[in-house]
Amino acid sequence: MKPLLLTVLAAYVVAAIHSILAFANKRRTLERITLGSLAFGFVLHTVSLVTDWTQEGRYPLFGLRETLSFLAWTLVATYGLVIYRYRTQALGSFTLPLVAILTFIASVTRDASTAATRSVTDVNAAWLFPVHTTLLIFAYAAFFVVFISSIMYLLQERELKLKTFSAIFHRLPSLTTINNIATTAVGAGWTLLTLGILTGMIWSQARDNRLWHNDPKEIFAALTWLLYLLLVLYRASAGWRGRRAAWMGVAGFALVLCTFFGARLLGGYHVFG
Amino acid sequence: MSIVLVGLNHKTAPVAVRERLAFTDEACAEGLRALVDGEIVNEGLIVSTCNRVEVLAATNQRLLEGKERIEEFLSRSRCLPQEDFSSHLYSHTDDAAVRHVFRVAASLDSMVIGEPQVLGQVRRAYSLAVEAGTAGRVLNRLVHQAFHVAKRVRRETGIAASAVSISYTAVELGRKVFGDLKDRTVLVIGAGEMAELSVKHLVNAGVSRVLVTNRTESTAQQLASQFGGQAVDFARLSSFLAEADIVICSTGANEYLITPAIAREALEMRRNRPAFFIDISVPRNIDPEVGRIPNLFIFDIDDLESVIASNIREREREAERAELIIESEVMQFQQSLRTLDIGPTLGALRGKLQEIARSEMSRQRQRLGALTPEQERAIEALLLATVNKISHPIIYRLKSSYDAGDSEDAQAWRDIFGLEEEGD
Repeated sequence: MKPLLLTVLAAYVVAAIHSILAFANKRRTLERITLGSLAFGFVLHTVSLVTDWTQEGRYPLFGLRETLSFLAWTLVATYGLVIYRYRTQALGSFTLPLVAILTFIASVTRDASTAATRSVTDVNAAWLFPVHTTLLIFAYAAFFVVFISSIMYLLQERELKLKTFSAIFHRLPSLTTINNIATTAVGAGWTLLTLGILTGMIWSQARDNRLWHNDPKEIFAALTWLLYLLLVLYRASAGWRGRRAAWMGVAGFALVLCTFFGARLLGGYHVFG
Repeated sequence: MSIVLVGLNHKTAPVAVRERLAFTDEACAEGLRALVDGEIVNEGLIVSTCNRVEVLAATNQRLLEGKERIEEFLSRSRCLPQEDFSSHLYSHTDDAAVRHVFRVAASLDSMVIGEPQVLGQVRRAYSLAVEAGTAGRVLNRLVHQAFHVAKRVRRETGIAASAVSISYTAVELGRKVFGDLKDRTVLVIGAGEMAELSVKHLVNAGVSRVLVTNRTESTAQQLASQFGGQAVDFARLSSFLAEADIVICSTGANEYLITPAIAREALEMRRNRPAFFIDISVPRNIDPEVGRIPNLFIFDIDDLESVIASNIREREREAERAELIIESEVMQFQQSLRTLDIGPTLGALRGKLQEIARSEMSRQRQRLGALTPEQERAIEALLLATVNKISHPIIYRLKSSYDAGDSEDAQAWRDIFGLEEEGD
């Protein structure tokens, strides 16, 4: 499995480097190399996750290593959707380095015991747990897209207002495209987050007869949910919201990071990252 | 075989000289036939545009004579004494000539780097030469390679990527805000020439609806009908402002037509969808304070000029990368040109040996008696294989000495076998 993940890592690193070069030099050939190695890495990554699943006998989204690897896979999948839908690869120069880093950490870390696994697999409605985690991971990926496109929006908007164009300007997609990406991603992310929280509650109800544990992760998740709900409503309310919505997209992601990592440090009922 | 290029362009000659040397299509065809004499000049091509007159020729090694011949030709065919233009001429030979042709085709030698017209002009010059029958092996290959290089430069660098005119810059900035310009509405206030040009480019870029307004209604109607647009009432400007994604302002008015209050109201009616205002009038017609309103982007004439200046700098940076591509292509071309030259010799040598084998075979055929077709084919194959085996080391040696830049070896073998190169 390790060699497989290392190959995936190599493919992602190649993709990330070429994506940055393509962004800097604006060369189509480099974009093709990026897409090629990304697709190659993604297929192998999928194989790697599936072998993990069948060999370990549990869904590969539990320990830190698995979670990071899965998150990287999710980011690539989401980025693929953005490319497919909006035909822009500008997000890649921001996304792919992160994907490569996540995969790198995943390939050097080792998950501790799998004892904790049993606590989630040997209970009623065990199948709900992977659904819960998968939905949330995809929600995080969507929020990452919101974050990146918000930053791109702010950069681009600033340059258009100041009328001084840096090299980056020519490489960014139009304001309208970036705004559309963010709006779609916020809607998708919030829906996934809602479903993820709901499945978590149902699962928890089935296991412990408790919907809510009040642990830090849950509280952060609730705050995140509220903030993105606001953002969804704000974006929907009076058409175009531009700058302020973009700032919210950036701020919201800070909260997502707190939910994802911060809550882990604070400890609590949720064991994984 | 050598390549010579003699010519002048906007950098070396004033228009007063260029216009007197310029060739029309007819003069070009006629001139080409006069230029190519088959003695010194074997192939010829004339590129004549408003910025350059260049004669490209393939000659028989004698570069100096070729160059003199072209100067004479220019003087004679244009009825102009040589001293009137010779100080403006530049001349390049071989590598330098190839490089120059590539640079011209790739638009690196143009007044505005990256402009696309020059490639079409070279293409036209080439087809004239083909019609006149003066484009032969060398120029065919050179010009086709130049097309390839031009395309490659365009594809791999950004020399033509950013706009360098006011009207294109307006389109490009519009795209930066809206992406696809399809289904967008443009409102033109005033009817200046610049506004007209910008609308033309916007419509070409996909803008679907054109509104025109002017103090004089007939002028507005005239411009609107040109683009299948709609002339609207100048008094109701502010209500149409809300419908427009892109506004181009170019009037002779002395006051601000669009104030922050008007703009803010229009934007509210647009539900905050972004709007892009271009003010190319002097004095300005849009209050610069309008630029402070969120989701509203405004560019005046100075802003556009400074965008253009930075785009030109960007093109110049990209041109440096293009030069590297040209260098590598020149080297490759020189290499391929050498095999182009040795090719016929090798072919003739092989043909000569095979011919000997065949004639010997037909002489001795009777002695072999009756043979089946298979046997006959087998004997022929055997003979040819033997000949090829024998000639292989010679050909190998010829090629390698040729690649090393030595063409005497080839001449020696031509002499030994009494080969005549076709076309020589």
